[in-house]
Amino acid sequence: MSKSQLSKALSGVAAIAGVGHSDWIADYAAVRGGAKPHDSFGYGAIALKRALEDAGIDKSEIDGLVSGPPTAHERMCEVLGIDPSWGAQADAMMGIQAAAMAIHAGMCEVVALVYGNDQRSAAVNYGGSNAAGGNAFLSYIYHAPWGFTSQGALYAIMLRRFMHDTGFTEADMGQVAVAQRLHASLNPHAIMQKRVTIEDYLATNYVTEPLHLLDYCLINDGGVAFIMMSAERARRGKRKPAVIHGIGRHDLSREATSLAPRLTNFYRPAQAKVAEQVFNMAGVGPKDMSCLQIYDSFSVHIPLALEGYGYCGYGEAAKFLRETGISLERGLPVNTSGGHLSESYMQGWNHQVEAVRQIRGECGDRQVPDCRYVHYSSDVAGKALSIIYGH
Amino acid sequence: MNERVFIEPQPSAETEAFWHAAGEGRFLVKRCTACGKAHWYPRSHCPFCASADTVWEEASGEGVIYSYSVMRRAKPPYVMAYVTLAEGPTMMTNIVDCDPDGLSIGDAVTLRFVTTAEGAALPMFAPKAAAGVVDPAEERP
Repeated sequence: MSKSQLSKALSGVAAIAGVGHSDWIADYAAVRGGAKPHDSFGYGAIALKRALEDAGIDKSEIDGLVSGPPTAHERMCEVLGIDPSWGAQADAMMGIQAAAMAIHAGMCEVVALVYGNDQRSAAVNYGGSNAAGGNAFLSYIYHAPWGFTSQGALYAIMLRRFMHDTGFTEADMGQVAVAQRLHASLNPHAIMQKRVTIEDYLATNYVTEPLHLLDYCLINDGGVAFIMMSAERARRGKRKPAVIHGIGRHDLSREATSLAPRLTNFYRPAQAKVAEQVFNMAGVGPKDMSCLQIYDSFSVHIPLALEGYGYCGYGEAAKFLRETGISLERGLPVNTSGGHLSESYMQGWNHQVEAVRQIRGECGDRQVPDCRYVHYSSDVAGKALSIIYGH
Repeated sequence: MNERVFIEPQPSAETEAFWHAAGEGRFLVKRCTACGKAHWYPRSHCPFCASADTVWEEASGEGVIYSYSVMRRAKPPYVMAYVTLAEGPTMMTNIVDCDPDGLSIGDAVTLRFVTTAEGAALPMFAPKAAAGVVDPAEERP
């Protein structure tokens, strides 16, 4: 589809009016101590209650419900005590896109998006021959005889090639962990708040070479919820809304099991399409962004997104990290909460919370001054997806 | 050093012929007779043109390392690698019989079957002595 044909119909239609999440730090400590504070539904219920309070609305006003992937939709509706007129099972990114379309189409007015995951206490396996997702992510099952049993192996092989192609170094990679830990140290909700240096990063052992321990995200229990409604209605609400100005998505599933989209093209074709779609819809460009929130199951997502969305050219991420920077101290701040590496691994859901809080200006010591637009990007599970939040 | 334990392959209707041939020492890939392209992993329907006219052919067993990673925490450590086959597709495999610290992207490798505890043959690769082979992936636009 050429640029002129891309729809802008969803721009400015919907907004996030409330956010909530569970107590990541306390639950992380409890689970490490052998306790199981809640199951996935329970974490979701805690998050929803807080999101409702944040938005200043009653549960009875909800008429749409999106449930995250680990929790069956029907059961989530039962646990929350909600009989919606519209619903979907979706991850954070696709859920926001679906909810914006449902609101725009008049299928419902107030959508709760609810995620709960007891992945740490339940010892969920994201790789190997019993990988979560089964045939939906066949690669780990298919390649298991060769010992390809983890997400880390995939991203390590990709990073090795990226380094070979572009001159990116391990010290460049370490900039991500260092910056995000700095941000986490300013975030009272972050699980890992102790600052680290490049020397600390390089001194940690390889897990899957060239990935170091600090390139890996956390695995923790928790829940996140948002309340979405029309931007018009949200502007009359208790909180300053985070309005969704652009949404874009492009899938790369054709060679998913052989892992070609990730390994041979770094998802660039999908990101290029999504960049055109989302920036065109929002009427802004990379230079207008105040900060980025990037899905970071592994640190290597950050240089790829910087290149893939045009914050720098292909092969220029190392130069960008060295000369511009991605921390709150200089440059273009990325993952201002600490992200999945240091705040909480809520599979993209906590990034939306941070985007909303930055737009509202309530981030305290880690607030980006005069935050006008926030770009959220993910490129996982067969698709690239972006959301641009603003006022 | 512990001996490596492999997860046994689970042949499906699409891959049964592949594993049977591997057990006989033959490394097969699937090629589509409609569009002419070879693909990996083996499928009944061509991922490029959706034709069901796919046939088995014996691969040369020659390839080039596209990228790799040493699984440092495994006991014993091993080398995961993405190898571009002479026939075109790139497959996830291992580099064996090698010095993990001496490998480079672009190295030429050749087929080496490794047998699991239950007797399945896994196609893996070992470095070729000769260097200086051009990586076909380098030539992509």
